Amino acid sequence: MTTAVVDGRPPVARHTARWVAVTVLVIAAGLIAVLATRPPASVDEVANPVVGRSAPAISGATLAGTTYSLPRVPGRYVVVSFFASWCEQCQAEGPQLVAFQFQHQRTADATVLSVMFSDSASDARASQAQLGVTWPTMADPGGTIALNYGVRQLPSTFVIAPDGRVVASIVSPVTAAGLDQIIARARAEHA
Amino acid sequence: MNGVLGHTGVLLGFVAAVVGIVVLGVGLYRGRPSTLRSGLVYAPLILVGGLIAVASMEHALVTHDFSLSYVAQNNSRDTPVLYSITGLWSALAGSILLWGLVLGGYATAMVWRFRRRSDEKLIGWATLVVYVVAAFFFGLMLGPADPFTHVVGRIPTNGPGPNSLLQNNPLVLIHPPMLYLGLVGFTLPFAFAVASLITGRLDEDWQGETRRWTLFAWAFLTMGILLGAWWSYEVLGWGGFWGWDPVENAALLPWLVGTAYLHSVMVQQRRGLLRIWNLSLVVAAFSLTILGTFLTRSGVVQSVHAFSDSTIGPLLLSFFGVVVVTGVGLIAWRGDRLHSPGGIDSPISREGAFLANNVLFVGFAFVVLLGTVFPLLYEALNPDSSVTVGAPYFNRFFIPVGLALLFLMAVAPALPWRKTSVEVMRGRLAVPAALGVVTVAVCVLAGIHGVEPLLAFGLGAFAAASAGRALVLSVRGAYRTSRSAGATPARSVLAGWRGFVGRANGGMVVHIGVVVIAIALAAATSFLQRTEVRLSPGRAATFAGHTVEFVGTREVTSPSRSAYQAVLRVDGRGLFYPAVSQFGSGTQAVGTPAIDSSWRNDLYLTIASIPTTGRTWTFGVVEQPLVMWLWIGAVTVGAGSVLSAIPGRRRRRPTDPVSAPAAVSAPPAPTGGDPGSGPGSDQRRARDTDSEPLPVGAGDPA
Repeated sequence: MTTAVVDGRPPVARHTARWVAVTVLVIAAGLIAVLATRPPASVDEVANPVVGRSAPAISGATLAGTTYSLPRVPGRYVVVSFFASWCEQCQAEGPQLVAFQFQHQRTADATVLSVMFSDSASDARASQAQLGVTWPTMADPGGTIALNYGVRQLPSTFVIAPDGRVVASIVSPVTAAGLDQIIARARAEHA
Repeated sequence: MNGVLGHTGVLLGFVAAVVGIVVLGVGLYRGRPSTLRSGLVYAPLILVGGLIAVASMEHALVTHDFSLSYVAQNNSRDTPVLYSITGLWSALAGSILLWGLVLGGYATAMVWRFRRRSDEKLIGWATLVVYVVAAFFFGLMLGPADPFTHVVGRIPTNGPGPNSLLQNNPLVLIHPPMLYLGLVGFTLPFAFAVASLITGRLDEDWQGETRRWTLFAWAFLTMGILLGAWWSYEVLGWGGFWGWDPVENAALLPWLVGTAYLHSVMVQQRRGLLRIWNLSLVVAAFSLTILGTFLTRSGVVQSVHAFSDSTIGPLLLSFFGVVVVTGVGLIAWRGDRLHSPGGIDSPISREGAFLANNVLFVGFAFVVLLGTVFPLLYEALNPDSSVTVGAPYFNRFFIPVGLALLFLMAVAPALPWRKTSVEVMRGRLAVPAALGVVTVAVCVLAGIHGVEPLLAFGLGAFAAASAGRALVLSVRGAYRTSRSAGATPARSVLAGWRGFVGRANGGMVVHIGVVVIAIALAAATSFLQRTEVRLSPGRAATFAGHTVEFVGTREVTSPSRSAYQAVLRVDGRGLFYPAVSQFGSGTQAVGTPAIDSSWRNDLYLTIASIPTTGRTWTFGVVEQPLVMWLWIGAVTVGAGSVLSAIPGRRRRRPTDPVSAPAAVSAPPAPTGGDPGSGPGSDQRRARDTDSEPLPVGAGDPA
């Protein structure tokens, strides 16, 4: 910072601060524009090695005390939802899953299957009953199903195509519309 | 109950801030001192609001009130009390709540300190700015970051607990609050900068205030960053303490700029120079705080500790825009009329060294900022590809900048203000420089290789000796002053402690701490040795002069944690227990390292893999020298910060003449004469632009 004072003459009017400030503002505006248009990296769909491969088999005891084995029905997508009663976001997405199931009941082109994850059967049963869940819920003793699907956090949801391939892995609360989008995309890719 | 009370607290804080803004706005517009005075009572109300909200949240966490969504997501029945308390800052909404509380505390401290000057315009504007920031953060909690939302549907009977990594080490109790005290603390300097730009008061008087608030925030931020490094060393299990992660950079950026300011403000207090520059640094430090909060809270960057919640992102980004436009816009509007008269006479002077320091700190801040946002800029220009910026990029700049800063730390304390001569510098630096050379020679003889570590050790010794010399001189001066005032020798020795307090002396203690950290960092990163050993129980392996024996395994189970531990005997003496632990219902198993720490070196032991069959376990072993000195250096820096906040000897009142004779529109100051002794009047002249009365007792230059 040297002055413009030369030989006792009055200082020359300077606009350094103004020009520097304007430059900084332009750069900041550019930065903000870039940041504002970035999609959040908190991707809901995660790269799980199971995606694109044949879905691990799901069979075993259900919460209702019966046994169940996931059949492969032509033309039908299956939404596998891992949940626990202690998972607050699972409770939040519950009504969306119920709505999704209701919308697809008549067309029978998609259904939901729940898998209890690290929870007590009575708590899980109560929370499923509260939501009005009509589909089967796997008890998954020992967490075998969760292990096969590589579930690390809740909520975790997988979409299985009619041909048995896993087409999506989602680790945030799902919505009925979001699931429809994923299914529509999978259909388009398949066609 | 907790929810209702919490909402009430947040609402109180928000309403108090908004009403405060209106009252102060009216007071400033009408120029009514009584209205301005009444505007200050809203700061304690913001604090009370924050306290109520935080108390409700802590009560909810400790009593496991799962009716609150935040508690249901970040707590479980088995979470110990300690980690229930820290749950407040283990996710987004709670951390904003902590931010609000800290800001309320700062606002209250500020109005309390200026209670006798509350009818001044400058204080009114500064308080108004703090209220605006408070209104923004409390407003966030009324909308997208509401910590008190009720769960949807049935109230869960249990929750997953906090993230495993956040219930693994008690350091999470103090590291985040320290960081927040630091980051939020930059609000006050920013508020003063805006206020002085609006009112046109750029005198050195308010700089004394701003410096003290900045020092406070800076000390907490420094501690927060170093504790974070310690936490990541103790918890993350990769043997490192700094990863140039976006979240770490977000805290480092304001720290770099704040450090630059703490140095350059001395040039302004002493010589009346660099006014606009100092304001710009204060504005930049706060802007970078908000930008960092945006980067880490909006989920736009991937990071190990980013909370991802996209709804808060646009609001934080808009707020960043408002802060930048306000700060930079005011500088554009006022800057050219307020620039300092006079200039730096010689680059080889104290102020020249401070300027070089500023170029290095700000330049490095730019490098860090660029590296942090570069992946985003790159993706914006090349939508289908991505790029990551890693440690090599940052280190390429950090090492030369760090070495140059060590050199400046060695030379600058011996440099007189204004100008110097070769003879003076030779006399002052001969011994410290010789110590540096001897250190390098000893290291070479001891078989240490590598240009960078040798330079770091040599320059570090030079800098430490230079700081030590300054401390010895000031302690001796304090002793002699006391003696000449007639005190007994014993009392005078006690009086010598004053040689450690005050801006300059405390600063030297900080310098010594920084040198210790720099040397430890250079040693630990340059001479790191890493290996993996496969051992079955009863077998031993030798690595880097240490024998590691695998004694056996054990399982530890408590309600909140289940862990597999390996029992390792190091060098035939102590037992160490690296573990893989799982907390509560959370599924993420985390490794817990065990560290054999000594003043010479650390042996860092982790479980790399547990076999599914067989008994051969794989262990990660890292040997790093001098790691403990990082933490010793951190304590020294903290102690130095406290010492420099204690007012030193009052050599002069702020209105007394200081060095550098110069007058407005006069030729450049003569370059002759004894440095630092000229009967100048920069500060008084600076006040000529200001028609308001001089505050009493403010602007202590120490």
